[in-house]
Amino acid sequence: MDTSLSHSEKRTLKNFVALYALLSFSILLLISILYLDFERDFMLRKKQVLLEEYAKELIQNLKYVHINLDKTRKYPRSENYRSAIFDSSKKLIFSTLQNKKVNLDDKLYKTENIIHFIKQPSSYYLGSYYVVVEIVDDELWLNGVYKKLFTYAGSLFFVLLIIGYFLSRLFLRPMREAIEMLERFIQDTTHELNTPISTINMNIEMLDSKALDEKSKTKIDRIKIASQTLSHLYDDLSFLLLNHKVISNDEELNLKELIEERLNYFEQIANVKKVSLNFICNKNQSILMDRKKITKLLDNLISNAIKYNKISGDVTVTLDEDSIVVKDSGQGIKKRNLKAVFDRFERFNYAQGGFGIGLHIVNVIAKEYGLNIDIESKENIGTKVSIRW
Amino acid sequence: MVKKVFISLLFMNILSASSFETNCASCHESFPVEIDKFLYRYILKYSSEVNVKIALMEYLKNPTKEGSIMPEPFILRFGIKKHSALSDIELKSSIDDYWLMYKINGTLY
Repeated sequence: MDTSLSHSEKRTLKNFVALYALLSFSILLLISILYLDFERDFMLRKKQVLLEEYAKELIQNLKYVHINLDKTRKYPRSENYRSAIFDSSKKLIFSTLQNKKVNLDDKLYKTENIIHFIKQPSSYYLGSYYVVVEIVDDELWLNGVYKKLFTYAGSLFFVLLIIGYFLSRLFLRPMREAIEMLERFIQDTTHELNTPISTINMNIEMLDSKALDEKSKTKIDRIKIASQTLSHLYDDLSFLLLNHKVISNDEELNLKELIEERLNYFEQIANVKKVSLNFICNKNQSILMDRKKITKLLDNLISNAIKYNKISGDVTVTLDEDSIVVKDSGQGIKKRNLKAVFDRFERFNYAQGGFGIGLHIVNVIAKEYGLNIDIESKENIGTKVSIRW
Repeated sequence: MVKKVFISLLFMNILSASSFETNCASCHESFPVEIDKFLYRYILKYSSEVNVKIALMEYLKNPTKEGSIMPEPFILRFGIKKHSALSDIELKSSIDDYWLMYKINGTLY
């Protein structure tokens, strides 16, 4: 039996993995930002030694200019750094800075690729209460940090994803076990149904309808319909259980004849709901398929069209050059449910019997033969299922 | 006539001379230490224009050995300045002119 992940299980798994991945990514991102910040701080502390030297040199030069103000007023410059001086009111006295925006309350900081170091000299040469030294950061250290981050964070993220996948499998185990239990139950039930259904069908066929009075004939007809429905259900369940083990025996089939045969088969069931079965053959077609499988496909579509139809409604099967269309005048399917109609055990109408496997079987057969299924449905107007090739 | 014009020009010149020139620079001219050097010492100690002007004002209003920014040998040699007879407004105006004349800010290149 097929125990692959169902649609809802896959959806739950996807949602969980997505949420888990997002959470893991956010945590890793936060750690990466903190690490980057730490590395930047570490780099600044290393540069501070050099910047202290530059600041000392600048203050010495400022002192020289201050002492010799009547000889020169040329602000000292250096190839190694740029600088600026501010008075105690934080008013700029002179600047050669590349980045003019200075935060005098911070001692050492980096803005983009510019590092500023602020020192307060003991004597305010030229009025310099704040001395700012600026250097350009080549950011070579960043390459190493990014490399480390991508390696470690990437590996960790991958490991977390794997853990997340196994965690999700663990969480989904109860759901999986419930599905498996249901499938085992259906398997056992199907097996047990085989003998009684065969016995009922055989005995009904053996009954001589001519020998029966009208009342008994009606009762027998009802039993026949009930048996037919049961038999149909049994066939579906058997197909579901054995599909992967049955080898297709493809042959050229006349679709017109086959559709007419299946409509006849369902005539009695349709009569109970006073549903009229119509067949429009625009072009007779033959198709290379396994007879049992195309019969199952048609049976499920026609059976659904009758089952979910209104009293005195109609079902129209149209055969065209490239399609079979089964249209009913039933209650329709809600738009939000359309995506899940092919899922196993998915039912949107509990007023009618069934296991929710009919359209799943249709889908399995269509996939096997490369047929496209298109469903259009409007609530309280009806459903149109098109099988195209 | 020429005499009258000369006297008028001299009078106008005296009137147009700033408070600083009249009340401060004139006396300091004979001093061995140039007047700008005092401001540079104030800047070295007080940094900003506001702080320098406040310190100068305080000292000029109440000159003491402790309040002076000059080194002790200088004080021993030249002594402490006498109390100013100028009003606060005149002092402020003189200090403003003094700052404008010798300030560092805006003169560096």
